[in-house]
Amino acid sequence: MKMTGEYRIAAPRNRVWDAINDPEILQHCIPGCEAITRNTPTNWTARVTAKVGPVKARFQGNIRLEDLDPPSSCRIVGEGSGGAAGFARGEATVQLDADGTDATVLRYTAQAQVGGKLAQIGSRLIDSFAQRYADDFFAQLAAILGGERDLAVAAAVQPEAPAPSAPHVPADAEPGAAVTRDDRPDASFPASAAKRFDSQSFTIVVLSLLLVFMTVMYALKP
Amino acid sequence: MLRFGVNVGAKFGIGQAVRRAEDRRFVAGSGRYVGDIVLPGMAHAVVVYSQHAHGMIRSIDTSRASAMPGVIAVLTGADAVADGIGGLPPYFMPADSGGPPGYRTIRPILVADRVRCIGDRIAVVIAESERQARDAAAAIDVDIAPLPAVVSPDAAAAPGAPLVWDDCPGNACFTLAFGDVAATEAAFARAAHVVALTIHNNRISANSIEPRCAVGCFDPATAGFVLHTSSQNPHGVRKVLAQSVLHVPENDIRVISPDVGGGFGMKADAYPEDAIVLWAARRLGRPVKWVGTRSEALMGDNHGRDQTADAALALDEHGRALGLRLTARHALGAYVASATVAPITFAMRMLPGVYDIPAVAVRTTATFTNCSPTGPYRGAGRPEACFALERLMDMAARAIGIDRVDIRRRNLISADQMPYTTAVGVTYDSGDFGAMMDRCLSLADWSGFPERQRQTEAKGWLRGRAVTSYLESAGVFNDRMELRFDPEGNVTILAGTHSHGQGHATVFPQLIHEWLGLPYDKIKYIQGDTDKVAFGRGTYAARSSMLAGTALHAAAQDAIAKGRTMAAQLLDADIDDIMFADGQYSVGQGNRTIGFADVVKAFYRPIGVPGGLSLGLTTIGTAGGQSPNFPNGAHVCEVEVDPATGAIHIDRYVVVDDVGRILNPMICEGQIVGGIAQGLGQALLEAIVYDPDSGQLLSGSFSDYGMPRPDTMPLHIESELAEIPCKTNVLGVKGVGESGTIAAPPTLVNAVLDALWPLGVTDIAMPLTPARVWTAIDQASKRGAA
Amino acid sequence: MTPFVYHRPTQLADALALLRDEQARPIAGGMTLIPTLKQGLAQPAALVDLAGIDVLYGIRLADGVIEIGAMTRHYDVATSPLVIAHLPGLADLAGQIGDLQVRNRGTIGGSVANNDPAADYPAAVLALCAEVVTDRRSISADAFFTGMFETALEPGEIVTAVRFPAPRRCAYAKFANPVSGYALAGVFVGVHAEGTRVAVTGAGPCVFRASAIEAVLARDPAAASFDAALLGPDGLASDLHASAAYRAQLARVLAARAVARLT
Ligand SMILES: Cc1cc2nc3c(=O)[nH]c(=O)nc-3n(C[C@H](O)[C@H](O)[C@H](O)COP(=O)(O)OP(=O)(O)OC[C@H]3O[C@@H](n4cnc5c(N)ncnc54)[C@H](O)[C@@H]3O)c2cc1C
Repeated sequence: MKMTGEYRIAAPRNRVWDAINDPEILQHCIPGCEAITRNTPTNWTARVTAKVGPVKARFQGNIRLEDLDPPSSCRIVGEGSGGAAGFARGEATVQLDADGTDATVLRYTAQAQVGGKLAQIGSRLIDSFAQRYADDFFAQLAAILGGERDLAVAAAVQPEAPAPSAPHVPADAEPGAAVTRDDRPDASFPASAAKRFDSQSFTIVVLSLLLVFMTVMYALKP
Repeated sequence: MLRFGVNVGAKFGIGQAVRRAEDRRFVAGSGRYVGDIVLPGMAHAVVVYSQHAHGMIRSIDTSRASAMPGVIAVLTGADAVADGIGGLPPYFMPADSGGPPGYRTIRPILVADRVRCIGDRIAVVIAESERQARDAAAAIDVDIAPLPAVVSPDAAAAPGAPLVWDDCPGNACFTLAFGDVAATEAAFARAAHVVALTIHNNRISANSIEPRCAVGCFDPATAGFVLHTSSQNPHGVRKVLAQSVLHVPENDIRVISPDVGGGFGMKADAYPEDAIVLWAARRLGRPVKWVGTRSEALMGDNHGRDQTADAALALDEHGRALGLRLTARHALGAYVASATVAPITFAMRMLPGVYDIPAVAVRTTATFTNCSPTGPYRGAGRPEACFALERLMDMAARAIGIDRVDIRRRNLISADQMPYTTAVGVTYDSGDFGAMMDRCLSLADWSGFPERQRQTEAKGWLRGRAVTSYLESAGVFNDRMELRFDPEGNVTILAGTHSHGQGHATVFPQLIHEWLGLPYDKIKYIQGDTDKVAFGRGTYAARSSMLAGTALHAAAQDAIAKGRTMAAQLLDADIDDIMFADGQYSVGQGNRTIGFADVVKAFYRPIGVPGGLSLGLTTIGTAGGQSPNFPNGAHVCEVEVDPATGAIHIDRYVVVDDVGRILNPMICEGQIVGGIAQGLGQALLEAIVYDPDSGQLLSGSFSDYGMPRPDTMPLHIESELAEIPCKTNVLGVKGVGESGTIAAPPTLVNAVLDALWPLGVTDIAMPLTPARVWTAIDQASKRGAA
Repeated sequence: MTPFVYHRPTQLADALALLRDEQARPIAGGMTLIPTLKQGLAQPAALVDLAGIDVLYGIRLADGVIEIGAMTRHYDVATSPLVIAHLPGLADLAGQIGDLQVRNRGTIGGSVANNDPAADYPAAVLALCAEVVTDRRSISADAFFTGMFETALEPGEIVTAVRFPAPRRCAYAKFANPVSGYALAGVFVGVHAEGTRVAVTGAGPCVFRASAIEAVLARDPAAASFDAALLGPDGLASDLHASAAYRAQLARVLAARAVARLT
């Protein structure tokens, strides 16, 4: 599975950067995250309890950084194991660009592989879940930083899979009110030049994505 | 001699629809399956499978598991190597019958170094209870450094593809070719029409209702192993385990497979778990039981099909076939396992099927992939052959603009061409393919189609139909049957073949009842125990009616002959004057008679041995060396397709089968209808899906692997049997076990494509799920719009 | 499967007290939870079986609202004369869930609490403006289903009933995945005094309302088809069984079929 996404966060780039370097904020953004530890500058561990419907499982994830090219890009390779339940591994490239002075655009390309029992019994859910977790992560981050939710602007699972957000009716919709996808924020934004970006913050973002992938597979059908 | 319907013999005799003797036991829950076996001191095994399709094992940490409650032992590949345990070889290779050498693999029972597919066995936990073993198995940490995996045979054959075996370039295990390439090229060169297509026969799983399971025992006093296993072929399993895995004499191992809940070819050979339970039983001094789960079965059983083929047919301007060409990649999975060479070969040798095609060239490369091994699965190669051929026939009819029935009539081998030798050198003894097709068309009311089509179209759906013919080749190898008579004159059949759903306990007694005149309900049947049955080859490839039937006939003839000697003594007559009919010996046509059972009793008189005869009566018959037989027939399917959803409704399904001499029509029809269900399963729903990049199995449960259900099936499958006795075996029988599975996929697919023809849909890859059908319609409409 | 303590309280209060323990889980029909436990994908320390609590059962009609107790089995909903009379679409839906064995065990409360993206009930709950009643509050359907397998339920909170205001008319159309029997897509249409609601399950990561189709129906209550622009593949699920485009197509077709089925 290959995922790409772009998220616009209503906060200046340096605030985003600070935030995703702050383990406490990240812990908030990663659903079910209990702890994040930085073993070395290029090696991180996170502990996550994932809850998906009736499923509840604890994971340990490890990340290492490769192909560092500060400030423009880096490749992060990670894997997490749920023991007999299976594993998730993946790699991702993340890029953070300023969008004017008050906003930041985050782009990622991620490739994830889910293995073992997770793939065997949860395959139908993997894509949707991965995307949902990514959404949750960024929505939470955006909420913390900008006080707004639902800033996801564009994301897609390739090749033929859908955009991330379900067209569900917002909680405050009037019964009978028509809410269409057109109510969502505009999907275009200017591309800005890549700015200096600390690779460690990529790590966290991608770590969370990987944990997401691991979690994903945990929903099953009997 | 053609007859529709059945020649009926004696009551309970040949041709009678005798109810299956075994069913009362099965439906009442008193069948004895391996899972039912409980032995004193028995421990339970759970196997740890590879989570990676390809990779090097860096480490296996069993320390947590070993310390868990109830755990008796944790064994890995290193332990197996240390104990001198071998692995599983292929049942045979082309080289064993003069073919190319090929790349021969040995599958370790536990992999110590390099895993090559999801489901490779890595470790086993033995514990006091299955649950404890399962919990401990989950606590084993296997660290695997992944290697790139390759999933489809095409990807495996591509330049630069990852190698499953480093010293097997191109992942090509062997390449076989039959036919005449030059003649075929010449036929294509002068053809008025050429049609071609690329097809993929989807990888599927047998899903026997009883998953595989095994109980291993070892008696140190006698150094004897006993293996209870759910197998189609106990002697075959014994041979492999003795020679290749445990390195002990064959008579040190007793293999027992009494009641087996379905095999379909998948259970025709030994699996790693069979070896594991015996090895563990010897190490621990306790019986060890392993019962596979449904998910373990989907992952770890040998799969079927998985062939990609480029096929082409050349025809003259009248639609007469001139040449047939097929180049295929047939996936082996990670190992050459079981009798997988058989389906690969059958797919080639049976390609010309029922048609008179002067030039044929077929070539297949058996290709390694990082998937579970393939093996024989009901039909075994003949479905692949029939699918290619029947798809091409429909395509050709459309390309030339002639009726799909007519093109078949023009090309079918006619009854007066029999015996007929195909362009790849297979000789058919008998058959009237045109008659089968005509009968099937009339039963299906083929000519009433336009009216039904109008009705379907009135509700906004589309109706399509297809007729196909199939030909199967049945009866490989030789076999042995034994008749053991007791002092009361009763008889027990000891079968070298093996029934795992086919009804042998019913049909073989019918034969003996017919031949010896002994009361049907007194005839006993024993199978599946290497200590009771001296030798046998098990059941697969629709072989039992012909081989066991012929062997049983020989054993019965021998019993009659020996009985005649005894009867001559008892009746005080010249042996040449003794006649045998209806279970009675008589002197000439006179009224001095004695029943067969009474003659048998004489073999057991307490004093002396009757002149020239033995004490007691046991006769053995063997069969082998004859030509296979060629069951054949026609299928008609009519479908309705909802273009809005892609849903397929099978409105009618009619099948006419020439099964040679019919032994039990009810069992024949059961085999045919069951086979059609499996064929429709492959066509409509079933698919083992691996992630094309990682080789992860994505269809690991029945939530994602689609089994056919009653609502998948037509309400009624109309089956009619025809008797054209086979000329090459004494019974005149033709096999029936695989027929239904062979023709169902092309019949269904051609019918759906016929329905969708007006929309411009020309191909849909199996399985034809509603999603795929709609997607094909959608793409065709976009092509049409463009 | 790790060991757990099994409780079978007969009073709701006892169940709630037991569920205050974060490691405890309610179990209803067990059709989803038990396979999860067997796969080792959840390790609750305790299971609190709701089957012994009488007040969680039954189907009642009061003031034009049909209340179905959380422990009511799918079979009982499918065959209830009350439901058939007032919510024919719901009876039809319940009769299409899984197979007979599943319908005899599975419960409306378990299904709604589980919020499987391919489950049938959520579509009815959303389209019928139902209220999900819990031990502490009543949650409108719009607020209840928050995401894939996610609901507004708090830890320890249990569904006690679902209340359906009787609609003018309602109907359900489902296209079952031939592999699993779950909905590849299912569309429930509820016609209310306030307007018509169209809820789609199976197609996306969570049940949702097809607002553009609702808008069409507001203008033309008997619309016979819905074109592609009204419900596209964006945001729908794609997996080994079906693409998002196919699910969108099914949702549009099923919406039309449900509308045609309204009586
Ligand atoms: C073979 C099969 C086929 C199926 N097909 C379909 C189908 O076609 N359509 C469909 O919609 N469903 C289908 N199902 C699902 C089934 O119908 C049940 O609805 C579902 O399993 C949940 O209900 P349950 O009562 O079994 O809940 P359980 O499995 O007991 O519980 C499910 C989850 O809900 C929680 N829970 C249960 N009750 C409550 C409550 N009152 N309050 C709060 N939390 C609660 C549990 O803790 C658990 O997390 C199928 C299931 C199977 C096994």
